[in-house]
Amino acid sequence: MNEILEVNNLSVSFHTLNGDIQAVRDVSFSLRAGEILVIVGESGCGKSVLCKAIMKLLPSAAKIRSGSIRVKGADITGYRERDMQRLRGKLFSMILQDPMTALNPVMPVGTQIAEAVKVHQPKITKKELKKRVIELLTLVGIERPEERMNMYPCHFSGGMRQRSVMAAALAGNPEILFADEPTTALDVTIQAQILNLLRDIRHKLGTAAVFVTHDLGIAARIADRVAVMYAGKIVEIGTAEEIFTDPRHPYTWGLMKSLPAFSKGRDELYTIPGMPPTPHHLPKGDAFACRNEYALAIDYEEEPPVFRVTDTHYAATWLLDERAPKIPSGAAVLKAADLRNGGKQYPAGGVMKTGIKEEILLDVRHLSYTFSIRDKLSVKAAEDVSFQIRRGEIFGLIGESGSGKSTVARCIMNIYRPPGQGAAGGRGEADIRRGSDMEASGAGRILYKGIDICEPGQFRRNKRMLETTRQMIFQDSNSSLNPRMKVGDIIAEPLKIHRINPPRGSLRAEAEFQMRYVGLDAGYLDKYPAELSGGQRQRVAIARALTMEPELLVADEPIASLDVSIQAQIVNLFRHLQKEHGFSFLFIAHDLAMVEFLCDRVGVMYQGKLVETAPVKELFSNPKHDYTKKLLSCLNDIRYAPI
Amino acid sequence: MGRRILYFILSIFFLSAVTFYMARLAPGDPLVSYYGDRAKKMGPKERKWAEEKLGLDDPITVQYIRWLERAFQGDFGISYKYKTDAVEVIKGRAGNTLILGGIGFVLIFVLSLLLGVLCAWYEDRLPDRVICKIGTVTSCIPEFWLSLVLILIFSVNLRLLPSSGAYTVGGEGGIGDRIRHLILPMVVVVAGHLWYYAYMVRNRLLEEVRADYVLLARAKGLHKRSIMFRHCLWNIMPSYLSIMAVSVSHILGGTYIVETVFSYPGLGTLAYESARYQDYNLLMVLCLMSGILVILCNMAAQVINEMIDPRMGTAPATLKSRKGGRLANKR
Amino acid sequence: MNEKTNTLAVLTEREVAEEMAGEFEIAGIRDTACAKPVQKKKRYEGKPIVSMLLLGLIIAGCLNCSLIMTKDPLYLDLQNYNVPPNREFLFGTDTMGRDIFSMIWYGGRISLFIGIVSTVISTVIAVIFGAFSGSAPVWADRFLMRLTELLLSVPGLLAVIFMQAVLGEANVFSISLVIGLTGWMSIAKVVRTEVRKLRSSEYVIAARCMGGNFFYILRRHLAPNFVSSIMFMVAMNVRSAIVAESTLSFMGIGLPVELISWGSMLSLAENALPTNSWWMILIPGAFLIVTLLCITDLGNYLRKNVNRRESNL
Repeated sequence: MNEILEVNNLSVSFHTLNGDIQAVRDVSFSLRAGEILVIVGESGCGKSVLCKAIMKLLPSAAKIRSGSIRVKGADITGYRERDMQRLRGKLFSMILQDPMTALNPVMPVGTQIAEAVKVHQPKITKKELKKRVIELLTLVGIERPEERMNMYPCHFSGGMRQRSVMAAALAGNPEILFADEPTTALDVTIQAQILNLLRDIRHKLGTAAVFVTHDLGIAARIADRVAVMYAGKIVEIGTAEEIFTDPRHPYTWGLMKSLPAFSKGRDELYTIPGMPPTPHHLPKGDAFACRNEYALAIDYEEEPPVFRVTDTHYAATWLLDERAPKIPSGAAVLKAADLRNGGKQYPAGGVMKTGIKEEILLDVRHLSYTFSIRDKLSVKAAEDVSFQIRRGEIFGLIGESGSGKSTVARCIMNIYRPPGQGAAGGRGEADIRRGSDMEASGAGRILYKGIDICEPGQFRRNKRMLETTRQMIFQDSNSSLNPRMKVGDIIAEPLKIHRINPPRGSLRAEAEFQMRYVGLDAGYLDKYPAELSGGQRQRVAIARALTMEPELLVADEPIASLDVSIQAQIVNLFRHLQKEHGFSFLFIAHDLAMVEFLCDRVGVMYQGKLVETAPVKELFSNPKHDYTKKLLSCLNDIRYAPI
Repeated sequence: MGRRILYFILSIFFLSAVTFYMARLAPGDPLVSYYGDRAKKMGPKERKWAEEKLGLDDPITVQYIRWLERAFQGDFGISYKYKTDAVEVIKGRAGNTLILGGIGFVLIFVLSLLLGVLCAWYEDRLPDRVICKIGTVTSCIPEFWLSLVLILIFSVNLRLLPSSGAYTVGGEGGIGDRIRHLILPMVVVVAGHLWYYAYMVRNRLLEEVRADYVLLARAKGLHKRSIMFRHCLWNIMPSYLSIMAVSVSHILGGTYIVETVFSYPGLGTLAYESARYQDYNLLMVLCLMSGILVILCNMAAQVINEMIDPRMGTAPATLKSRKGGRLANKR
Repeated sequence: MNEKTNTLAVLTEREVAEEMAGEFEIAGIRDTACAKPVQKKKRYEGKPIVSMLLLGLIIAGCLNCSLIMTKDPLYLDLQNYNVPPNREFLFGTDTMGRDIFSMIWYGGRISLFIGIVSTVISTVIAVIFGAFSGSAPVWADRFLMRLTELLLSVPGLLAVIFMQAVLGEANVFSISLVIGLTGWMSIAKVVRTEVRKLRSSEYVIAARCMGGNFFYILRRHLAPNFVSSIMFMVAMNVRSAIVAESTLSFMGIGLPVELISWGSMLSLAENALPTNSWWMILIPGAFLIVTLLCITDLGNYLRKNVNRRESNL
C-alpha cells in the first residue's frame, strides 16, 4: 500500500477547568506518499489540533480519547515520547503559522537547521553538516546561503524566515510535512512564493504534505485532496476536483459562496449565517445545523454518519441519506444561489451608489512621515502621499504590511502629528509605539473640511468638531476595547467624553440602539469584551464609532483578524451602514478581494509611497503600476473560480 | 569600548561626588568617631582645632577637591575611628566578606538556575510544587530570625557548629575551622536570596517553553532536554544575567545582618559603623568599592548579553520585529 | 431464539425508519438551544480561605488585644523572668519578665501598623512617580528610570539602616517613613511599564481620538488596568515592610525595647540564646512568619491571573 498515514476515528479532547473540550471528533482520513491534503476550516475547528495530535505535540492537558494513527502500517497511537521523538523530523515534520516566533531568536539560523540534521545523523562531520545546511538553504530558495547561515532570525524578513523554518523542517528528509497555516501571517506576494516553493519541494523530494488553512482559495491552488473540517469533524473529504466541482456538504457550499469572487458584482457578500459553535458546548445533533438553510429535522436530533459519494469522496450530511428530499447537487445549489442574487447584477464597485458628492471631505497633500531610531537609522513610513476622499465615498487603501497604510491613517486621525512638530508639538507622540526610542518627524498637510488639522492652532480651534465627526476602527478588536469596561459603557463612551445628551434618552438606551443597529443582541450590554467573540467585538467597535454619527470613518484593517465568514459579515455591515449613513469611509486592508467588493476608489501603497490611485473597476481591470500588477496576479493565482 | 570606559569613569566620578556631599550634609558629628565620648566635652576652641586638624572646617567643595587630589595619588585618608589608613582597615576585613559574599553569590547563581530549571521541567507536578512551597515559606522568614534559630539548633542545643566569628580565636588559618564557621552564615545568605532568583528563572522558563520555536524544535525531532538547555535556558540568559548583575550589591549588602548576628568580621558592619559615626574617609572608600563592583558587573552582563542576543545593542531590532523586517530593509 | 431476535431487529429498524420519516424534511435554520455550561465553581473555590481566616484572626486579635491579654504587656515582673511557657504565662516571659502572650497581641498592632503605613507611603510615591514617568517624554522617562534603577541597586535594608542611622532615635512614624521611602522603586517600575504599555494600546488611542483628555484616560482606562498588576507587589510590600521593621528593631536601630513590636521583642532574643530560652525566639517569630505567609498567599491570589497558554514542551 502506498498509504503512509492512516487516521481512524481519532478523537482528541482537552481537559480544562470548565470541563472537557472535544477538539477533534471521530476523524478518519489517509494520506498517500507525495500527496498534498489540504484541511480547510474556520478557526477553532480543530484543524491544527489534529496535526499536532498526529505528531503527539499536544500539551499534556490534551488526550487522545479513541481511534488510531497508523504510519506506514505501524500503529503509533500508543507511542511514548521517546519513540515519537525518533519519528519526528525523519518521518514527519511541521511548519508553523508565524515565522516571527517559530525560530529561536538567539541562535543563528544555520545552527537551528544543523541541529535538526544532527539529531538524525549524530555522526555527521562538521564539513558534511555545513554542506547539508547550505544544500537545505538552497533548496528553500535562500540566496547566498554560506553568508546567511550565520545570521540570526532578526536579520531575516518574514518570507525568508518561513523559508528557513521549512529548511529546518525538511532537514531530516521527512516523508510527511504538516503545514499549519504557513502563509497566513505573510503578505500576498510572499504567500504565493511560499506556496510555489511547497509545490516545488513536493516535486523534488516527493514529500507528502498536510496543509492546514482557512482559505479555500489556497486549497484550490495546491491541493490534491481537500478535507473540510467543522467543529472538530471532517464533514467532507475528496479530491480537489470533486470538492470544487461537486461539493456535497452544505458547509462546503457555504464556504465556496463566501469566497469574494463568488459574490463579484453582487450587492452583498454571501455569508454563512451565525457563528461557529464553541467547542465547550456543541449543540445536539449536527453542529452545523443551526447555520444551514438545508438543515433537516433530523439534523437537530442526530449527528449524520459519513456517506460515500464516490470511492474518494465522502461527506457527513443527512442530505445524502436516501430518505432525504432530493435537493439539487452542489454545483446546482451554487448556481441557484447565483440566480437568486443574479436579478440585480451590479458591475463591480459602487456604481449603484448615488451618495457620492463632489465635495472633498479629506484632502491629504504630500504627507510624509519618518520614524527615526536613535541617530543613525530612520524609516520613512510614509512618503509624499496625496489623495482625496469625497463626501460619501469609500476609499480603499491596500498594501502589504509595513507599507505605511496605518501610518497614513494615524496621521489623518491626529494620532501622529506630522509636519515638523512631531517631536515638539505632540508630546513625543511617536513613542506611542511601545515607548521605544523612536522619534518622528513628518511633513505635508492634511485638510479635513478645509481645515489643516496638522496645524496646532487650527486643530485646537476645531478640536471638538474634529473629534466628533472623525472616528476610527482598529484592526485588533481585542486591544481596541478596554477589557475592564462593559460593552454598554464602551459604546456610550464618546457621548460621555463630550458630555452630549444622548438622543435616545439615556446612555444605556443609546448603547442598546447602536448594538441592535450593528446586529448585536442587547443582552451583551453588561458583558465584558473578553466574553465576546472576535466578530462580535468588532461590531462593538463599529457601534462605538457610529454613536457619534461620524462624517469620516477610518478603519485600519478591521477584518484582518477575523474568520472568512465573519469577515464577509462585517464587510456587509460596513456596506449597509455606509449606505444608511452616507459617511465617507477610509478602508484599509490587504485583502484585495474585499477592497474590490466594498470600495469606490482604491489607492495602492508600496514601501511608504502611494503608487497608484484609481476607481476600483479601472484598477482591477487595468492596473498601471508594476506593483499593482504583481498584487493582482497573486490574487488571480490564488483565486479559484467555483462552478 | 572607549565609550564604555568613559561612562565608567563618569559614573564613578558622579558617585563619589554624591556620596561625599550627602555624607557631609547629613546631621551628625564626625569628631565623635575620632575622639569618642571626649568630643562631646570639647570646648569651642578645642573643637575648632580638632576640625582644622581633620580638615573639616573648609567648605565642602574645597574638601571634596582636596579629597579628589589625594585619591588620585592613591591616598584615601585615614579612618577616624581606627586612626589608620582607610584602605588598610578595609583590607583586613574584605577577605572575610569576599569569602562569604562571593561563595554565596556563586551558590545562589548556580542553585537558582538548577532549581528554576527543575521547577520548569516538572511544571505543576510534584517536584515543582514542593520546591515552590518551600520557597514561599523560606522567603517569608526574616534573615535574622533564621540565623537565631539556626544558632539555637546547631550551636546551643546540638553543639555542632560555632555560633560566631570567622575562625576560632587564636587558631587562625585552619581551613576546616574556617569552613565550620562559614556554614551557618552561608546557609542564611543563600536561603535569603535564592528563592527570588529561582522563581525568576522558573517563570521566565515557563514563558519561554510556550514559544513557538519550541514546537518547531520538537517537530524537528530534538530531545526535550536539549530544547530546555540549548534553546530555552540560553534564551533567558540575557535577562537572568542582568538581574544577577544588580543582585551583586544586594547579596553583598545582605551579608550585613548575617555578619552582625554571627559576629562575623566583614565589611557590612564596617559600612554601617562608618555611616553611623560619620567616618567619612572609610565610607567613601566603601561606597566607591561597591559602586565600582556594581557598575563592572552591569557592564560585564551587558557585554555577555550582546554576545548572546544579536538583537541587543543594535538599534533597529524593535522595528524589525514589529514590521517583519521590511521596514528596516528599506534603507 | 436466534431467528426471533433477528426479526425483532428488522422490525425495530423498520419502525425506526417509519418514525423518522418526518425527520427528513428541510427544517432550515432553527435556533438551537446551546446548553449553557453550568458554573460548578463554588464561591470560595480558588480563594485563599485558610490564609484569609488566619490573617483575619491575627488582625482582630491585635486590634482587640485588651480583651485577649492575660497580663499587662508593659509590666516588668521581675520575679518571673525567663519563665518557660506554663499555665500562667501561656507563652512564657522574656528576660525582663514581661508576658510574651500579651506582648504578641499588643506588639502586633505596631508591626501591622508600620507595615500598612509604609506601604501606603511607598505605593503613593510609586504610582505618582510611575504614572509621571510613563506619560513623560522619552528623555525624561529614560532619566527617571535610570534613577530608579540606580536606587534599586542600593540594597534596600542597607538604605533603611543608613537613613535610620542619620535620623537617629526612631519612633513608629519615622520608621514607617524610612521604610516607605526606600520601598517604592519596584512598584514604580511596574506602574511605569504598565502605563507605557497601556498608553500605546489601541483603546487608549481610541479614547484619545474621541477627545478624552489625560485625566479622563488615566481614570477610566489606565488606573483600572494597572491596579490589578500592582496589587501583588503592594501585598509583597506590606510583607517586606514588616520584615524591615523587625530587622531594624532587632539590630537595635529600630524601635526601642520599651515600644513593643514583634521586631523589638525579637531584639531581646539574642540575650536568650545562651540560656536556650527557645520560646522567646520561636513564638514571636512564628507569629511573624505566619502573618507574612498569609500576606504572601493573599498577594498571590491578587496577582493578575494571566490566562497562560499550554506548554509546548
